[in-house]
Amino acid sequence: MNRTYGYISVAGRKQLAVVRIALRQQWAYKTDFLLRACLLLLLLYVLGQLYGAAYAGDYDRAIGGFTLRQVVWYLVFTEAITMAGPPVGARIEEEVKNGDIAVRLTRPLSYVGFHYGSYMGEGVLRFIVLLVAGGMVAWLTVGPPALGYGPIAYLPLALLGLTLSFLMTAAVGLCAFWVEETRGLEFVLQKLTFTAGGLLIPIDLMPEWLQRVCAWLPFQAALYLPARLGVRFDGQELLRACSLQLAWIAALSLLVAFIFRRGAGKLHVNGG
Amino acid sequence: MSGTARFLLASWKVNLASALEYRLSFFLLAGMMFVNNMIWLFFWYLFFGRFPVVSGWEMGDVMLLWAVSAGGFGWASVLFGNFPRIAAIVSSGQLDVYLSQPKPVLLNVLTSRMSVTGAGDFIFGIIVFLWVGELTPRGCLLFACALFVSGVLFIGVMVVAGSLAFWIGNAEGIAGQVFGSFIALTTYPTGIFRGAAKIILFTVVPAGFIGYMPIGLMRDFNPAFATAAFGAAAFFAAFGALLFRAGLARYASGNALAMRS
Repeated sequence: MNRTYGYISVAGRKQLAVVRIALRQQWAYKTDFLLRACLLLLLLYVLGQLYGAAYAGDYDRAIGGFTLRQVVWYLVFTEAITMAGPPVGARIEEEVKNGDIAVRLTRPLSYVGFHYGSYMGEGVLRFIVLLVAGGMVAWLTVGPPALGYGPIAYLPLALLGLTLSFLMTAAVGLCAFWVEETRGLEFVLQKLTFTAGGLLIPIDLMPEWLQRVCAWLPFQAALYLPARLGVRFDGQELLRACSLQLAWIAALSLLVAFIFRRGAGKLHVNGG
Repeated sequence: MSGTARFLLASWKVNLASALEYRLSFFLLAGMMFVNNMIWLFFWYLFFGRFPVVSGWEMGDVMLLWAVSAGGFGWASVLFGNFPRIAAIVSSGQLDVYLSQPKPVLLNVLTSRMSVTGAGDFIFGIIVFLWVGELTPRGCLLFACALFVSGVLFIGVMVVAGSLAFWIGNAEGIAGQVFGSFIALTTYPTGIFRGAAKIILFTVVPAGFIGYMPIGLMRDFNPAFATAAFGAAAFFAAFGALLFRAGLARYASGNALAMRS
């Protein structure tokens, strides 16, 4: 029991060290992510104008259960999660292609775990900046978010959403063991997240048939569920969303572990 | 045929041959961009499914907007593929190689690359026009004019933004932001913008001229708008060329050895 606890504790400390390093590294590229935030400001401004025109500036009208204010804050929440994620798929692909993965595999740290720590370290910092920047635009455009449990519930759900995004991107990146060029697969993943994740339009506003399709996919758990609960809190829904996210995290973790094992088993790196 | 025209034709021929060297990759990349644009149209289909008319714009208008924006961007990227990369070329000292050749520097820089994804954008623009556009000689002529203005505006704006690198050094970040923002702004209906934002879109950041093209040029031809759009394209192209030329006088590099690739 003590040995198991000790093992978990050491692994956890290593993981936290990776998160800390990634955070510090990201802090060194402040300008880069501030520029990213500028693009988010513009996008949110444009989308705010679009939905403002669609609702004809009526703040009281609810369409598909969303008022104008809720839609704009929903977009802030989905965009912050989407834009926070570092390009982990491209990094894994690059490491597999140029053989750097051999160095990583010799370290006493899980390869996927290392990338997860690094992803979360960078991602969390970016997420906070993007959320603050996006929140300012939304606040100026449509006013503050509805006070309540929503914004509080959003934060942990967004972290689980980031974890899900990591797992999906890592699964695609690890395909580089077989196909080398994973850009096309990642592109498909991005576009699926864009539509089935409800990035720019809440799933409630989509046609019935598409809502049914989205319900069976993991993308909505990464973006739509955290953002919807952020603007329209419901205690029972929170429990359901959280369970769904955890179930998808478990399933995708197994998938990533399986792909990694199979891929690493057939890896050949020449030179050093 | 003048020397410059021969040079342009030779450049485009070499670029095409080079792109077709990896045929599968060419078709995959062009196809990916096509699919990307189709997914955006799917978003608009969902949006207009819920809000059928937004500031007088309907689904067909937005589809034409995408045809003009993607098509214009497409031909500009295929023929003058380096226009989004000027800042990177200047700040990394890669301009030396172009200066050593007896050809117009800006033209040489712009034509020395062909964007493969741009081909997908262009084909997408044409297909969408065939799908929802007015297929009469007049309609086709107006669409061709819209594509021309749109492409020239993309090139002009990016040459202006990229030339900033001559004065502020590493302008890649700013140029990248201008690029992303300009593209984003040209793909939303101009009708949704009001007040100062609208003025900016028709002056400093001329994305409004592209965004309003389906209405002002193709649906209800407005001579004043058409004149202003052509004027803006000519102005940004000329201003970009002059700024680049002025910047060349300040250019200095670290004697980097480079090859055109």
